[in-house]
Amino acid sequence: MKTIKLDKNPLKLVKDVLNDLKASPDLGIYKCVQCGMCASICPGASQTEYDPRDMIRRVLENDETIIDDETIWDCFSCYTCNSICPSGNNASEVNQILRQMSIEKGEGAQKIKDFCAYGDSFMEMGIGSIPNEFFNVMVKDVGNKYMDLKVNIEDIRTDLGLGNYILPKESTDEIEAILDNSGFKVRLEKIKRCKK
Amino acid sequence: MSKAQLNKNKSNLKIGVFLCRCGGNISDIIDMEKLRLSVKAEVIEEFENLCSINGRKIIRDNIIKKNLDRVVVAACSPITHEKTFQNYVSPLNPYLLEMANIREQCSWVNPDNITATEKAISIVNAAIEKVKYSQPLVPILRKTPNTAAVIGGGISGISASLSLARQGIETYLIEKEPTIGGSMVKVGKLFSPEKLAEECAMCLLNPLVNEAVQNKNINIITNTTLKSAERRAGNFNLLIENKARKVITDRCISCGNCAEVCPVEVKDSWNEGMTIRKAIYKPFSQAVPDVYTIDPENCKKCGKCQDVCRMDAIDLTMEDEIIPMTVGSVVIATGHKTFDMNKRPEYSYGRHKDILTQMELARVMGVNGPTKGELLKPSDGKVPQRVVMIQCVGSRDEKPGGRKYCSKVCCMVAIKHANVIKQHYPDTDVIIGYTDMRTPGMYEKYFKYAQSNEVRLIRGRPGEIEEKDGIFIVRLEDTLSKEPLEIETDLVVLSTAMEPSEGTVDVSNILDVGLTEELFVKEKHSKIKPVATEVEGIYVCGTAQGPKDITDSIVQANAASAKVSELINGGVELEPFVANIDNSKCNLCKKCIDVCKYKAAFIQDNMLSVDPVACVGCGACLWECENNAIEIIGQTDEQILSMITGMLKDKKPDETRIIAFLDSVGYVSADNIGINKINVPSSIRIIKIPSMNRIMPKHLLHAFNMGADGIIMGEYPYNPMYSKTKEKVNGLKQELIKNNINPDRLAFYKVYIPYFRGLANKFNKFNNQIIELGKIGSKIDS
Ligand code: SF4
Ligand code: SF4
Ligand code: SF4
Ligand code: SF4
Repeated sequence: MKTIKLDKNPLKLVKDVLNDLKASPDLGIYKCVQCGMCASICPGASQTEYDPRDMIRRVLENDETIIDDETIWDCFSCYTCNSICPSGNNASEVNQILRQMSIEKGEGAQKIKDFCAYGDSFMEMGIGSIPNEFFNVMVKDVGNKYMDLKVNIEDIRTDLGLGNYILPKESTDEIEAILDNSGFKVRLEKIKRCKK
Repeated sequence: MSKAQLNKNKSNLKIGVFLCRCGGNISDIIDMEKLRLSVKAEVIEEFENLCSINGRKIIRDNIIKKNLDRVVVAACSPITHEKTFQNYVSPLNPYLLEMANIREQCSWVNPDNITATEKAISIVNAAIEKVKYSQPLVPILRKTPNTAAVIGGGISGISASLSLARQGIETYLIEKEPTIGGSMVKVGKLFSPEKLAEECAMCLLNPLVNEAVQNKNINIITNTTLKSAERRAGNFNLLIENKARKVITDRCISCGNCAEVCPVEVKDSWNEGMTIRKAIYKPFSQAVPDVYTIDPENCKKCGKCQDVCRMDAIDLTMEDEIIPMTVGSVVIATGHKTFDMNKRPEYSYGRHKDILTQMELARVMGVNGPTKGELLKPSDGKVPQRVVMIQCVGSRDEKPGGRKYCSKVCCMVAIKHANVIKQHYPDTDVIIGYTDMRTPGMYEKYFKYAQSNEVRLIRGRPGEIEEKDGIFIVRLEDTLSKEPLEIETDLVVLSTAMEPSEGTVDVSNILDVGLTEELFVKEKHSKIKPVATEVEGIYVCGTAQGPKDITDSIVQANAASAKVSELINGGVELEPFVANIDNSKCNLCKKCIDVCKYKAAFIQDNMLSVDPVACVGCGACLWECENNAIEIIGQTDEQILSMITGMLKDKKPDETRIIAFLDSVGYVSADNIGINKINVPSSIRIIKIPSMNRIMPKHLLHAFNMGADGIIMGEYPYNPMYSKTKEKVNGLKQELIKNNINPDRLAFYKVYIPYFRGLANKFNKFNNQIIELGKIGSKIDS
């Protein structure tokens, strides 16, 4: 049996989520009526154990184990739940805030470790490019033409009359400085260091 | 006596002041001896209990013996005993009495006898100064003509009309459709939570309709809409437009020959567009009036109907007609419409024939509907294997175009239809997808009955309906088992929201009554004045005011007609403290008309008039009038200025005094401070003013000139003129700045009756703030 303890701060988790930098000013968690409309059309919910309605319920019930619950990583960020919610709530936004909380705590960092290469490419070239580690997946999904595109990118761009996509050094230096000063670099390193 | 005469004689007026000790309540704190010596009047008497019969004798004997012209009673609050003392001053006119509240607002809030006595002196002085300008008045007797217009001929309008007519009131029942009956005739069955049974709606409605037809006090005017309305001294002058029926009512015998030959076919709105009717038609067989009507939008004027009509009843040249009428009251009963499903494409409504609304299902199951009462799918005419009902479609919905409220009846409607289906088609599975089943009161019994009829309930709000190989997939989460579900079905029914009808919005705009955020007619007060609108003499009932069921609509209709009857029969006496126009100064600029939210001012025969029943004497119009053509009786400038003078004339140099203008709510709140014996600063001097809209710069400047150090204005925020007041306070502050007075010396507060502690706190805070600012005229002010 679960006990609702005489707690000083029974709504701590909702408040933390609402106070998060990412939370929109009108994020309507409190208004959720648990109708399940979001879950009814959520691709994550139809294919996995993720349930946006239940995630909201756990936030409202101050169940902090939701932060490290594996299922929150099964959201596709498609925002369908947001567009359908009749109560002005936004499950996808809550999901993203919970993920950030999980990353801060450490547990979630490993979930995004593989994506650090995106960060590196930003730091080096000032653009996001698909890391080499994902080439095999991309070929599997898109087919061989993906490799063709990768290899012949310069020619294809010339044919299309597009300019050089490599940024000049002063630009990349500037971007790196921004990413450094904004704390992005430190965060990236921290995530890289986490254990799988 | 004219005003000029009154003013001339002012100094010679014989005033009697009667001081009440109130069994020590007053005299234990206030030095009565000093009070008596400090006021000037023809007669000054003191007594233990002035409100007693002996008190009455003292007052009356003095009036008669000393020939008094005016009386001041210094005792408790006027709220407690003004009516008593108004009786006691007879043979004087009751309005020549003024009360000085030295108990609730003095002895009970000021424990120190020196300052309390000083305060009492100024309160009595203010009353003396004011009463010099009082005029003999007679209360206004409200007289409303014995006629009413009911707009909308559904169950609410019919019920209201019947009730009015039975009370002898001549009633015009105006309906925009060719027949009366509204939505109730369409719903087929009504359910009874007591009998756990469904009854025939038409059978219940028909006797009422027949009575309406037969009652000589009811004039049923169909095919007609309201075009314009003007308010004239308790009357409404209406213009209604009667759309040409093109069939002469007295001649048509309803044989239907015309419809047989008419070549034009249109969707029949009576069957929610599921069947076809002709351009000449009768909505349904029991329609009242029982005649055919031509729908001019679709008629081709071919004349075929005319050829076959043996009664020569058809006149294709008949023209629309504008009819003027004058009535004493108006009842709005314009009803509702259902949610526009184009706003919710996720439910595929309109793309598949077998996705219906509850109203369409009602028609399908109605014995006079397209399938003669059989539950057959519109697509193939077969009985459905399963019916899935979806609740809260467009209700409880914050998405664009959605309705935030609960439509209140759809849960019961769904259960009714589910029960009817289960009784006649036990093999058809019925599932209701719901978020909350709302079946309050007796309806819960009917809900239980549905459960025992094997109606199934799944808690979840469907997100979409998809068609796959000829069947529908309804997607929802079973929120109780945390399982995303796909329900296969061959018929879907949507419980769509109730919305205000276009008629409700149009009529309200024409009559100038307020609408809610959701565009329903706004009641004067949603709890205690549920059928009155903001305009005196206009009432609302039924779904025009908000979603409700038939029972509630009838209850409200009867309440509305009782209110009309109160106006007509009550002969209510009203206080005469209303706006009075000096037509020699008025140049008909209409500014007062524009500002008055009570719609009290109007122009008739090139003269500005004020309807004394509608006017509340708030004084907002005085500000607008550049010609000084308006005064408020009982609150004239002389009276306000003299009360201020009285409150301040004996102020000592080292003393702080604050004038608090409070409206009637604020005044009661201030009395409550006294009743609860909470102390307030001795500086506070309260003057009652009906609305802060009455306060003008000259009043404030006079108070500051007379030595007030600060001024408080307190107003109850839930009155129609409040927004105006707030604007005004800024203007007043500007005036103070112009006159080298620190605007912080003026404070504006909201007041509420139960929140008297809050008011006491505000008095204290403001008092401290004023002491910090220093005396009026100090450095801070220049
Ligand atoms: S988030 Fe919105 S859609 Fe989801 S359960 Fe709550 S109210 Fe329903
Ligand atoms: S005149 Fe109009 S109503 Fe009459 S038959 Fe022709 S189309 Fe129909
Ligand atoms: S009555 Fe029932 S279906 Fe209708 S809005 Fe309210 S809860 Fe929803
Ligand atoms: S005093 Fe107020 S209610 Fe009366 S006419 Fe003027 S604005 Fe209207």
